[in-house]
Amino acid sequence: MATTTASTNPSVSVTDPTNVIVETRNLGKIYRDFWGRKKVNALKSLDIEVRRGEIFGLLGPNGSGKSTTIKLMLGLLFPTSGRAFVFGKDATDVAKNERIGYLPEESYLYKFLNAEETLDFYGRLFDMPASVRRERTEQLIQMVGLQRARRRQLKEYSKGMTRRIGLAQALINEPEFLVLDEPTTGLDPIGTREMKDLILRLREQGKTILLCSHQLADVQDVCDRVAILHQGELKELGRVDSLLKVQDVTQIHAKGLDEKTKLEIKELIARSTGEMLRMDNPTTTMEELFLDIVRESEQRPGRRGSGA
Amino acid sequence: MRLSPDQFWTYFEWLFVHSALLYGFLLVLVLAVLGFLIGFVVALLKHGPAEGFLQVSKLIGELFVVDIPGTSIRRVGAIARLAVKEAIRKKVLVVVAVFVIAIMFAGWYLDQQAQFPARLYISFVLTFTNYMVLVLGLFLSCFSLPSDIKSKIIYTIVTKPVRPTELFLGRVLGFTAVGTLVLLLLGSMSYLFVVRGVIHEHEAIEISADGVSGKTSRQQFHSHEFVLDETGNGITNETKGHKHVVSKVGDKIVVGPSIGDLEARVPIYGMMRFTGRDGQVANDGLNVGYMSEYHKYIEGDSLCSAIWTFKNVTRDSFSEGGLTYDMTISAFRTYKGDIVTPVGGEVRFRSIDGSAVTEPFPFKVKEFQVDQRSIPFTGLKGSLNEQPADLDFFKDIAKNGEFEVVIRCQDRNQYLGMAAGDLYFRAEPQAFWWNFIKGYISIWLQMVIVICFGVMFSTFLSGPVAIIATLSVIVLGFFGFFVDDIIKNADSDVGPVASLIRIPLQSGSGTQLDLGNIPLERAIRVVDKGILICVQTLSKAIPNLNELHTADFVAYGVNLFGGLLSRHLTVCAGYFLMTGIISYFFLKTREMAA
Repeated sequence: MATTTASTNPSVSVTDPTNVIVETRNLGKIYRDFWGRKKVNALKSLDIEVRRGEIFGLLGPNGSGKSTTIKLMLGLLFPTSGRAFVFGKDATDVAKNERIGYLPEESYLYKFLNAEETLDFYGRLFDMPASVRRERTEQLIQMVGLQRARRRQLKEYSKGMTRRIGLAQALINEPEFLVLDEPTTGLDPIGTREMKDLILRLREQGKTILLCSHQLADVQDVCDRVAILHQGELKELGRVDSLLKVQDVTQIHAKGLDEKTKLEIKELIARSTGEMLRMDNPTTTMEELFLDIVRESEQRPGRRGSGA
Repeated sequence: MRLSPDQFWTYFEWLFVHSALLYGFLLVLVLAVLGFLIGFVVALLKHGPAEGFLQVSKLIGELFVVDIPGTSIRRVGAIARLAVKEAIRKKVLVVVAVFVIAIMFAGWYLDQQAQFPARLYISFVLTFTNYMVLVLGLFLSCFSLPSDIKSKIIYTIVTKPVRPTELFLGRVLGFTAVGTLVLLLLGSMSYLFVVRGVIHEHEAIEISADGVSGKTSRQQFHSHEFVLDETGNGITNETKGHKHVVSKVGDKIVVGPSIGDLEARVPIYGMMRFTGRDGQVANDGLNVGYMSEYHKYIEGDSLCSAIWTFKNVTRDSFSEGGLTYDMTISAFRTYKGDIVTPVGGEVRFRSIDGSAVTEPFPFKVKEFQVDQRSIPFTGLKGSLNEQPADLDFFKDIAKNGEFEVVIRCQDRNQYLGMAAGDLYFRAEPQAFWWNFIKGYISIWLQMVIVICFGVMFSTFLSGPVAIIATLSVIVLGFFGFFVDDIIKNADSDVGPVASLIRIPLQSGSGTQLDLGNIPLERAIRVVDKGILICVQTLSKAIPNLNELHTADFVAYGVNLFGGLLSRHLTVCAGYFLMTGIISYFFLKTREMAA
């Protein structure tokens, strides 16, 4: 079992435009009622990029516009303003779906099919030949650990098993870009750990992942960059390590200091005989950051003045 | 059973001569223009004129350039397979069980003493199957897509490279496959039910002392009488719509299986015209004052005649027994006269150029039954180039398969009534089972049309609303001719608004609407006229399922013409195309997650 730790992906050039998988330009969505009256402004002028090979987290409280953003990227909704591009194509272009895998927040699958039939069906939707479908089905069933339940109808599955088969269908076409909406919901701690390990492994295989989650610890563990949304607005966007760094506090780690030195630490650092191990800023947790942003956003709407 | 002249047009006559192709193109054009305008108005409101026009043009372009060429048979097959699995696992085949129960107890509610049991049984199974399959198609097609959208399963479908064309095709093919399977099962059971219900055996009893005549035993509430000829063979009289061949085998008289009840007569119809009292071509026959205008009449002992022109009649179509033809002529008496003797008429056969004419064959009208007659192929008495001659039918009269039949009424001041379908030649009959299958093909076509409409409505309506919309199509499809009749006969004083006003005023529809306000009356008439035109247009846009209901052909033992079936197939294909294109635009412009 691999250890769950986030790491950056230095091989990816952030300046190369061909490395941009998803790009939204001034993306907005207003939900209207039957008579065309404005119901809610779900997303306001969103500009983000998801770059090749990274795990990009989309965070926000309920109703912040996360799901709307994902649906706009997948072409399930049409934007009211702006545009979304995936692989350089308009988000409504069906051809882009050839390279996308999508795990919805709930496993929206046909309950009367079993695991094999489900994967075979989605394989057919990718126009995969029978031999390839069989091979991929076998691999994915092994990967998500559903060997014993492969012939059971999905209506007999537990929530965790349903998430696994949902993930398997998202991977049937070996997608370059994977959209995971709440991937750890319904999983037990072991399942959650396995899912996070799998996400990191997929990143190592060169896949780009857009992850939308309420599990802040999960996001902190696996994401390279995050965007935090609140009330349809982008509040924060940047690298996870940068965002979590407390800029105005210095943290010193030292060892072998005597008591006197310890007592006079503020004056003595420069002339200390002890070995300086590390000197940096402390980090907060994703949860703290998230709550701070939400509190601040409610007091003062608009984009925060930071980021990476 | 009454056939209308358009039912015996050949496929190409219907397509080209009677302009079905032209009307089809016009309909496509009108729908295309209408669709573009509606789309443009919607896009105009959303994006403004220039962008709106671009959006609509792009949408249309994508259908032909991207989505139709990019449609994958494997994806269509996947969606179709899924639809079949869904239907079977959701126990759709329970319909078959319902049908089995219905025919198991059919004896309780079908009149076993009916005059034509075969006709009754065939009508019952075909009509019952027809309605069951249409209801099945209705429920299958209307709920599937809305259910996927409601349960959000559609999210995992449309985020794959699935095109709107594939969603429509897959579902229509899948549901059609399920319906076809059910139809095959119901059809097989129906066939067995009819055959087992009709086939019976008699024994010869009450044989006369000379052994040449007798009666058969009583079976299924009837018996027959028979007379044998000198060779020991004969045919029983017709009872309950059938006869039996009777033959003497040794000392024993054997009654064979029934003939005439499970058959598929192959009528060859001709086009009909009339001549008037002066012998000149008339626009129509005489109307003797009946409300029904189906039959037109010719006057007795005058130059009035009814002339049928037949084409493509060849020797190969007939057996050795001669040229057989059936007549269902009616009579109208202006005086009672000798009431026992039927009104008389005569039939002549003549070549198109009139050079060869047979002598008249006199007949007496057999009212309310089929008068079956035949003439030999050769040795027909008549005249050739105004010289008496023995005529060869196919050599002298039916040159190139074309000839005319002329009927006149012989009795002064009496009238004979007829329509185009009342005289036809009987070619070698087709197998009953094949006609039965053709009857089921008609049901299948209706089912496909209902499925197409169901899927189309389900692309933009919720399940229950789609059901109501499709049900409306079915009801109007079967009873749309009432709407036609109402509109044809309605003047603007009995339109919907005028009728509504008449109710509280207790004003009869036969009187002129009088409100004492001429401008108001005019306004009501204009509104009523507009409503009637809208309803008429709407009634034309929906399929005429009544025309596709061909159970009568099978039940009355008339071969379902290939031309008619081909027309129905073409109409079905037209609706498939129309609903497919409409569905495409709805699926393409619908926000699945909205």
